[in-house]
Amino acid sequence: MNYILKAVLSAASFGIASTAAFAQTIGPNGESATPSSSIVVPAASEEAVRAGNHTAAMLWHDQSDFVNAVTAGATDEFTRLGIEVVATTNAAFDAAKQRSDIETAMTKGPDIILSLPLDPVTSAAAFEEAKQAGVSLVFLSNLPAGYVHPDHYAAIVTDDLFQMGKQAADALAAAMSNSGSVGWIFHDANYYVTNQRDNAFKTTIENDYPNISIVAEQGISDPARAEEIANAMLLKNPDLGGIYVTWAGPAEGVLAALRANGNTSTKIVTLDLSEPIALDMVRGGNVIAIIADEAYELGRAMAAAGVLGLLGEKVPPFAVAPAITVTAGNVAEGWMQSLRIAPPASVMAGN
Amino acid sequence: MSRIGVPKGFDLQKSVIYVGFFTIFLFFSFTLHDDGFLTTRNLTNIVLQTAPATIMAIGLVFVISAGEFDLSFGSAVAVSALAAAVVLQDYPMLVGVLAGIGAGTLIGALNGVLVAYLRLPSFLVTLATLGLFAGIARSMTNLRSIPVINDSFTGIFGSGKLASVPSLVIWTILAVAVGHFLYWHTRFGAHVLATGDNPRAAQVAGIRIERVRFLVLTLCGATAGLAGILYAGRLQAAKYTLGESDLMTVIAAVIVGGTALKGGKGSIIGALFGSLLMGMLNNGLILMGLSVSDQMIVRGLIILIAVAVSLRDTSH
Repeated sequence: MNYILKAVLSAASFGIASTAAFAQTIGPNGESATPSSSIVVPAASEEAVRAGNHTAAMLWHDQSDFVNAVTAGATDEFTRLGIEVVATTNAAFDAAKQRSDIETAMTKGPDIILSLPLDPVTSAAAFEEAKQAGVSLVFLSNLPAGYVHPDHYAAIVTDDLFQMGKQAADALAAAMSNSGSVGWIFHDANYYVTNQRDNAFKTTIENDYPNISIVAEQGISDPARAEEIANAMLLKNPDLGGIYVTWAGPAEGVLAALRANGNTSTKIVTLDLSEPIALDMVRGGNVIAIIADEAYELGRAMAAAGVLGLLGEKVPPFAVAPAITVTAGNVAEGWMQSLRIAPPASVMAGN
Repeated sequence: MSRIGVPKGFDLQKSVIYVGFFTIFLFFSFTLHDDGFLTTRNLTNIVLQTAPATIMAIGLVFVISAGEFDLSFGSAVAVSALAAAVVLQDYPMLVGVLAGIGAGTLIGALNGVLVAYLRLPSFLVTLATLGLFAGIARSMTNLRSIPVINDSFTGIFGSGKLASVPSLVIWTILAVAVGHFLYWHTRFGAHVLATGDNPRAAQVAGIRIERVRFLVLTLCGATAGLAGILYAGRLQAAKYTLGESDLMTVIAAVIVGGTALKGGKGSIIGALFGSLLMGMLNNGLILMGLSVSDQMIVRGLIILIAVAVSLRDTSH
């Protein structure tokens, strides 16, 4: 999803996880991950929460299908618990606007704020007022510099990044009958989200599939260059059985290169739902799977973590929402599970 | 002007910003009375949040009044903020401030040379320098954000107060006062208006229009530099994206504020109210609890109406 690209492009990254290969998703300070499903407001506390007339604000970084799904998950959970959402904003990846949004939302005195801090450095000052006011802060995928759990924030929630990369490897290996050569197009930048996903793919192929070899590795920072990168990779390795592409945007360029070459045999696996990629998949093209996240569940877990923080209950510092392997066979269910919306009509028609 | 329903002598175009501003202010005051809109804190926030855009708008009023355009000020803001933040890591505040404002001024001067002396169209020149300096801002720090930990700097240009008045409010008042004085009470201001109104006539009258064009673009760069410093002070950090999203907001503020796109006419006070109007819209629509999409739609419609009224040619 675009949010991941844009978020990482706009942020200083968590360097700790950037290059090392881990067997699971880890948090910005090395925290081990807790499944988001374990973050639940106890039934015994629900009445007390409803009686509290609490309010919440959702101060997002951007607007996208992903953010809409996170918002829907959080809103449903807040509504269930009688919490009014008093402000929803979109900073459009502008750090100054995010600061203004926080100040404006604070006028309404929310008890809980859900947000993706655009940047650890600029966000530190931006969230200071909310932090000082004791607002229960829940962050998505990023952490302002110097913030300490549980004193300053309730939790960080993100995707299960390792599982996304691993499931991409498993899906590609299955489509290649567990043998052959693959190309690995990774995000060439020191960024927490994409680095963990990319490295998980590579680690899984290297460790779990001895008959598959990664014969070409190419970094990418500008999605617009994906087609030329794929062309060069195919020129050197005409027998590539599969290509991993770090996210759906550049995967569209790789797909264009394969089509231009009349290549129908090389398989593509990528991450994050995209209509053009899904359309190729359901039409039996090069794309064999898309790995997505459970964005709605992620939003629900953020809301629940905010409530638990408000109640002063223990919340795991770092939680992850599950990954989903979406194929032509389960595209409708997968899309719904990820974003809580039906797939685009073109995808359904092509299925 | 004499129209049905409009009092004789009342110029709707000239007054649209003030009528629009107070109408929307009253609307939010009534509808958001219980949501804290009228609190001192919220109203102060609006001024603080719009301070950099207001200062950029002042520079742009001079440029457009002179019949030119500047699309590059957003990039100049980012380069200036980053230059200040980088220098402040090793040098005292004054050096950082000079680096920030100097960077913006140099970018403006480059635009000025290309437009005034090489006679290239300002729209295209600044479209090119917009991309050029956006790239430079990205490469300056390899996409990293730079923290600003100089307390004097963040106090004077960000979160500080003087006699209970926030420093950003003081900077806004100072910039508006200086801009208004330059625009209406100096020969330079008169030359800007004359150049924008009719450059050939201005030249015949002895005005060095190249010099005017150079100076307005340089001034616009300098105001972008000051805006960059204010962003760095307010966020206690600088980032390559600063100022990027201000382009449309600032242009809308200037046009709604009564500056004619074809040059020769403008208003610094109008630009101030235009900028405050944009900030008030952002603030009020969030407090109304509208979804993000609805906020964008309503804001777009209001700006469209204001621009349509302020630009409508009444000579027909």
